[in-house]
Amino acid sequence: MRIKEYRDEKLNEVVYCGKHSSGLEIIVMPKAGYDSAYALFAVKYGSIDTSIKREDGTFEDIPEGTAHFLEHKLFECEELDAFELFSRTGAYANAYTSFEQTAYLFKGSNRIDESLGYLLDFVQKPYFTAETVQKEQGIIGQEIRMYQDLPDWMVMFNLLRALYKSNPVRIDIAGTQESIAQIDDKLLYKLYDIFYNPSNMVLSIVGNVDPEQIFAQVDKAIIRKKQPVPERKFIKEPAKPVQDYIECKLSVGRKQFLLGFKEDLKDPVSDIEDEYATEILIEALFGKSSPFFKRMLDEGLVSMDFGGSLFSGYGFSTVMIGGASDNPEAVADAIKKEIKNAKKHGIDPAAFERAKRKYYGRMVMGYNDIDDCSNLLASLYFNGCKPFDDMKSIQKVSLDKANERLAVINEKCSALSVIIPA
Amino acid sequence: MVKPIEIASGVRLVNIKTDKFKTNKILITMALPMGDEASANALMIYLLKRSCKAYPDLTQLNGKLDELYGASVGAGVSKMGDAQILSLSITCIDDKFSFSGESIVEECAELLAGMLFNPNVKSGSFGSDNLAIEKRLLVQSVLEEQDDKRTYAYIKCIEAMCANEPYGKPRVGTIEQIEKTKMTEVYAAWKNLLSTAIFQITVVGNGDADKIAEMFREKFSKIERTPCEISTIFLKRARFNRLEEAVPVNQGKLVMGYRAGMENADDNPDAVRVMVDIFGGGTYSKLFANVREKMSLAYYCSARFVCEKGIVVVQSGIDTEKEKAVSAEVINQLNDVRNGKFDDEVIEASKRSIKEGLTLNTPESICAFYASQILHSEIFTPEENAEKIEKITREEICEAAKKMSLDKIFMLAAAPVEEGGNEN
Repeated sequence: MRIKEYRDEKLNEVVYCGKHSSGLEIIVMPKAGYDSAYALFAVKYGSIDTSIKREDGTFEDIPEGTAHFLEHKLFECEELDAFELFSRTGAYANAYTSFEQTAYLFKGSNRIDESLGYLLDFVQKPYFTAETVQKEQGIIGQEIRMYQDLPDWMVMFNLLRALYKSNPVRIDIAGTQESIAQIDDKLLYKLYDIFYNPSNMVLSIVGNVDPEQIFAQVDKAIIRKKQPVPERKFIKEPAKPVQDYIECKLSVGRKQFLLGFKEDLKDPVSDIEDEYATEILIEALFGKSSPFFKRMLDEGLVSMDFGGSLFSGYGFSTVMIGGASDNPEAVADAIKKEIKNAKKHGIDPAAFERAKRKYYGRMVMGYNDIDDCSNLLASLYFNGCKPFDDMKSIQKVSLDKANERLAVINEKCSALSVIIPA
Repeated sequence: MVKPIEIASGVRLVNIKTDKFKTNKILITMALPMGDEASANALMIYLLKRSCKAYPDLTQLNGKLDELYGASVGAGVSKMGDAQILSLSITCIDDKFSFSGESIVEECAELLAGMLFNPNVKSGSFGSDNLAIEKRLLVQSVLEEQDDKRTYAYIKCIEAMCANEPYGKPRVGTIEQIEKTKMTEVYAAWKNLLSTAIFQITVVGNGDADKIAEMFREKFSKIERTPCEISTIFLKRARFNRLEEAVPVNQGKLVMGYRAGMENADDNPDAVRVMVDIFGGGTYSKLFANVREKMSLAYYCSARFVCEKGIVVVQSGIDTEKEKAVSAEVINQLNDVRNGKFDDEVIEASKRSIKEGLTLNTPESICAFYASQILHSEIFTPEENAEKIEKITREEICEAAKKMSLDKIFMLAAAPVEEGGNEN
């Protein structure tokens, strides 16, 4: 295995990357002075993967929520389940499914090589039966219900449903009670075989580790051979949202809102410098030091939780701004006016500079945390970037770039999602 | 044991010097007895966070923080035993990351001290507009507490359980108390804080702690201090009853509040910690293995130990009609712990997991670990706590479980979600 070394002098960090013969990308970041290591074994298979490509090039639909279902089921092994294995070393083990990936992880300070062995082992050895699949439907059913009561979650998924017509980003990560009822052990084995192929995966480990040892251990532990990478389906969306307003009643104390501006994407993958420029411009216009925030706060329209960020991934990109408010429509109108105004006069250079410094500082802070580093390295890899591309790109972002990104935000392609106290 | 730097009477500084982080963090933790001033104290700490003499307005202060590379200021209000805990903190990146080599750390330390000692006050007032806004935000945050039903049900159970103890009071007071708080009370709360609160300043990073200590020493030298006394009521046994509230949600929340039977916070808390972890901690625990994995009744069912109050709380998200089945199983599982029906392997797994949790890798977790010792005279390191956990025996675990008595069941029941209009 050829190992590549990446360095960032200012951060004083080194990352080693190697490509295993199976196609698995292995990323190691040793951190001096840390007692623990955090390892992430991730597969590019998330809730947006609702179809698989057939040999003839057409796509076959699969039920919603399969990536998440598989995540739950992989913890079960033929003999001991994965949690029992990790309890031998005391490592904390978990997994999560997002829109674009499923990740299995552990964090531990003791017998890290042993924990890494368990991680590599259980993810590579699926074991399901009709019975265990059925049992999981009850647990996941409760998980779905729990999320349906969370206003932060509901306000966002309602917004996505209002904005996107057919992009699977509009569906719940866990699927629905109905869709998971269609899942059986045979389907899980089939999907496992397609997606959990090393060329579609990354192992990223950060902390108290020796890169040489890690590469040697992983090299021996990978079972599967190289296979082609499954292809994602790019679903071209109409520029306009499905509807411009959506509301739902929940048992909450106050109204909550999220306003989204849908970007008309020509290409499913976006550039990280563009993403950072967008984040910075949102901060400059709507951050806690902006005149806009002060005005809204003084008028009693927003709370300290007001803020925005870019929500983007394969085939979707939306600027989202929201928080709690007694009058979401008024805030939404004011946000649109502010964007219109900024487009006309350009972003205030001083505000841009402040926002850029803040964003850069927060990025540096992120390198404190082995969890954050490991997740960052994996997602940079899945996005086709190299380690530390984040640090390089952020420093390159110019005011012109931010104004260019501002021009893309279309007030006419927006939707407002509101949660109303039941 | 960590030897703190004495700053003034009832004020100490704990420095954890390390160059492994990219940041410096200073956390000021302040303890006062939980009482009728809770709302005034809470409003005061948020007013301190909002501005200071040097940056007399929220926008100016936040602008300054942005310029300092996104330095972040935090303020918080919580409870620890029968004390109200206020906190004020700042986190910034280390000087070596600035674009042109300017110093960030020192400026941030001064800014934080300025917020505490030199707030934006004129003749006894924080500004009536500012107070009105902070009142509104605090009332709103209380209303928002019901948004997360897991937390909401937990709070309701604690409030019912400790209705006759200071710990049963809401951490920021009630909405009525917040609304009727006067400026003179907020100002008095600030004066009272500086002269009577117990202070711990925790510093984590590579910054010069001696310089920071010197700065705080100088500030406190101008204040006459008579530190307050804080004591917490520990009820050893409980009188059980069940409460229910129906809300329009999809999933019900079951909360079971236990008294751990401790005399005080030093009454073998490590045995209780291991017992609670075996009962409802990790994935090897009784509740996870049975209520979730075996019976498939819940996505989560876990127990949590509130050491400073001698309370253990079991929480689970369930179908409302399954309450009896789940609560019976929880009681059943606790009986198994009492009777020693668990493997030695589980004890080892639990100890390993707790010790793993004591391996602290972020400035936030290190600060939180030391701040949680504010009410104790001796300050232990994570390694020392790990050693104490290691020594706990099977007998001590069963003994701790036997002392548990069920005090409250609070059931947040799922009433059907209303569609359409607001019929009442």
